[in-house]
Amino acid sequence: MPSVILASPTSLLEALRGDPSRRPPRDRATAAGLRAVLEDGLFEISHGQTRPAPLVIGPDHVTGGADVVDINRATYGRLRGTLVAQLVRLYVAGYRPRDPVDAAVRAWQIDGPSAELAAAFTVLDDDSRSRLATDVAAHAGSLAQVLREAPAGWAVRSAVRTRLRLGGGTIVLRDVVDLVVGVEHQATASVVLVDVTTAPIGERTDAALRFHALTHTLRTSATPLRAATFSTATGELASCEVDYALLDRAVRELLDTIGARWTP
Amino acid sequence: MSALIVRRLTPTALAETVLGPEVETVVTNAHRNTLAARFRAVATDRHRRLDAWSVESAGRPPAPFRWSPVTARRRLANAALRRLATGARSIRLGVDLEIAELVACAAEGRLGAGSLGAWLAARDPAELAVVRAAAADWATTLAELSSAIQGDWHVARADAYYDVERARTTLRARQDIIVGPHEAVVRVRGGEPSASAGPGLRADLVAATFASDDGRAPRRYVGVWPDAGLLVALDGTMDNLRAGARDLVRTAVVQRQRWLRRDAA
Repeated sequence: MPSVILASPTSLLEALRGDPSRRPPRDRATAAGLRAVLEDGLFEISHGQTRPAPLVIGPDHVTGGADVVDINRATYGRLRGTLVAQLVRLYVAGYRPRDPVDAAVRAWQIDGPSAELAAAFTVLDDDSRSRLATDVAAHAGSLAQVLREAPAGWAVRSAVRTRLRLGGGTIVLRDVVDLVVGVEHQATASVVLVDVTTAPIGERTDAALRFHALTHTLRTSATPLRAATFSTATGELASCEVDYALLDRAVRELLDTIGARWTP
Repeated sequence: MSALIVRRLTPTALAETVLGPEVETVVTNAHRNTLAARFRAVATDRHRRLDAWSVESAGRPPAPFRWSPVTARRRLANAALRRLATGARSIRLGVDLEIAELVACAAEGRLGAGSLGAWLAARDPAELAVVRAAAADWATTLAELSSAIQGDWHVARADAYYDVERARTTLRARQDIIVGPHEAVVRVRGGEPSASAGPGLRADLVAATFASDDGRAPRRYVGVWPDAGLLVALDGTMDNLRAGARDLVRTAVVQRQRWLRRDAA
């Protein structure tokens, strides 16, 4: 289980990077084993059958977030999350806007928003738009306290995308991690994955965190040092060391999710 | 035609892959004339530009181009890495310097209305911050991936272009890292490799070879997809060049058919 700590007003990234002298050696062997376990598990689910289109799995599917019934609430939540994710990019790039809501909207719009979310934003009435602005401003305040421009040597990347094919292309894993801190291919494990959520930390955020750690390991063939979720709703930080047990659990959760959704 | 090499992407894997076989393939004037004759046979009333993407998408017309953080990041990132090699203190500073220079050029009227500089000059600070972040992220990834490459390599100044003589055709090869004078070319793309990533790489190989002054093919052409954690590579053999040229000509044929259908409608 991730340890939950209340974020101090110091730098979030500095706290997560920890003491570089205590880092374990980089684990380059686990990724291949995880791939083998995943492929075996997928074969047991699919029995070698294919699909007309690949089954796309993201963190929402693993956490159950994709099954939310109230579509208006889900869209509002996604809009809020998307705007806060843009603020993460701006803060880490060293830009501190006076009006974070306006800046987040501008950054989101130029970044090529999905047609669905852009349409949802356009049809918001004045009340909903004001509520969204107030909401995002509150989350921005929480974020601004802990997120500062990172030193260049930390190799911080924002909105890091993953798109992996499994099972001969029948499964696509897609993921976006808000922040990846550290150089991936060093002698010691030094990469920290940071997910920023506008929801309180709970079971769902833990499962998402494991999914992020798994997709990162599969993509880079190296296990990250640590994965963490920062909640802008509560100011809490959930952090855990990434080890084989965590990744093994992520694999089982992923296979359960695929098994529940698989149709030939 | 030699097989495609597909590997998990790590700096070590990339460094090993750029070391191609010790073969030298050179295209001569006879090859250039033959290629031009093939393209001239596919008559066109407008100028056509062919590249890996057009081969992979079977000549489908691309969506109208517009600048965005995603379309600007590669150019800014490559420029930032070149600045890093010549003394900039960090990638982020390299990106900032490049943006400042482009904006200054646009302000002095030295760039066209549709140029990256003009687009950047019209952005507000929040939009510019996203562009900076996207470019710095791309450059950081590229710098890390190339960190294990041994020997002489540099970030490409531009893509390679080859105008096919009297055929109203320009071939473009996407290139990001050039290893040695003729050892390997690495190109980096977002997303994941498509089923026709191989033909796309062959098209790049053809354009890069014909665009080089001495007609020598790079020993390896390497496509890198960091989002998918994969690299795909092929050898610069004459077989691959022939296959790539055939794909490009086929794409020109399909493109022409599309144009004719569209004009008829």
